[in-house]
Amino acid sequence: MSLWRRRLRSAGDGSFEVRLPRDERALLGRLPAELDELLGRLAETSSPVPEALRRLFPVAYPTDPVAEENFAQIARGEVLRAHREALGVLAETASATRLTSEQLAGWLAALNELRLVLGTALGVSEESVPPAPADPSFGQWALYGYLSLLVEDVVAALSGQLPPPVPGADEAVPEDSWGEPPGGLRWDGTPVPKGP
Amino acid sequence: MSSTAARHGVADPGTEQRSAPEETEDSAVRTERPWNVVVWNDPVNLMSYVTYVFQKLFGYSRAKATKLMLDVHTRGRAVVTSGPRERAELDVMRLHRHGLWATMERPG
Repeated sequence: MSLWRRRLRSAGDGSFEVRLPRDERALLGRLPAELDELLGRLAETSSPVPEALRRLFPVAYPTDPVAEENFAQIARGEVLRAHREALGVLAETASATRLTSEQLAGWLAALNELRLVLGTALGVSEESVPPAPADPSFGQWALYGYLSLLVEDVVAALSGQLPPPVPGADEAVPEDSWGEPPGGLRWDGTPVPKGP
Repeated sequence: MSSTAARHGVADPGTEQRSAPEETEDSAVRTERPWNVVVWNDPVNLMSYVTYVFQKLFGYSRAKATKLMLDVHTRGRAVVTSGPRERAELDVMRLHRHGLWATMERPG
């Protein structure tokens, strides 16, 4: 027996049935606006991305500031627009019982954005264990866990409708040289631990 | 990366042997060395999600996408596409839109 009842299933006609309790729909209708407000403020400025939102705007050229600036000039606006668009889809369709695959893709992007921002705030690491219920951050951890389960559901649903693989695509990926992370830093800016 | 399901027992993904594309230096046509798009491990994106994004964006089979995801998860990174600079930057941007930590790299 599983404690988690799946929230989504394919309707068989390319769309998806959504079965969500009312309180979860209310939550999903409300959360996007909170993040969108932060993104909206970012859209009006060219100042650096704040720590809390750093995971939504990764660096493409960690060791080349000039190339990074050129890249960011185009990418930041484009990525920002896509993030806000996805949040808008989730907010607008949070009470829908039927979603198109495009709408569900918007849900997935928005849910993942929320997880990235929440995960950053909670300092999630590979070794993280959710705290006891008495901990002040327990509520946020519970929300993070809930969003994770929902993402798993959406991925499972959308994976069933992916187009067939592109012929030859698998063979075109070059072998990796397995270099160190750029600048010797991990995703969160901490140094890479030295191996034995 | 993390998994909400039970942790996978992960075997060594092994390595595939493939010869690097030959570089041609012609006086008329200078072929630019391709750029690699590297995806790095992070503790937030779910394993299933990363696999799905690789399939969706690049048209990989589920097996290939899973192998790349496991490379990212167990080895810390994986080259997921390669090509001319503009094309590679576009792929990086698409990965960023999906919340993955992707960088540009020019193999030496």
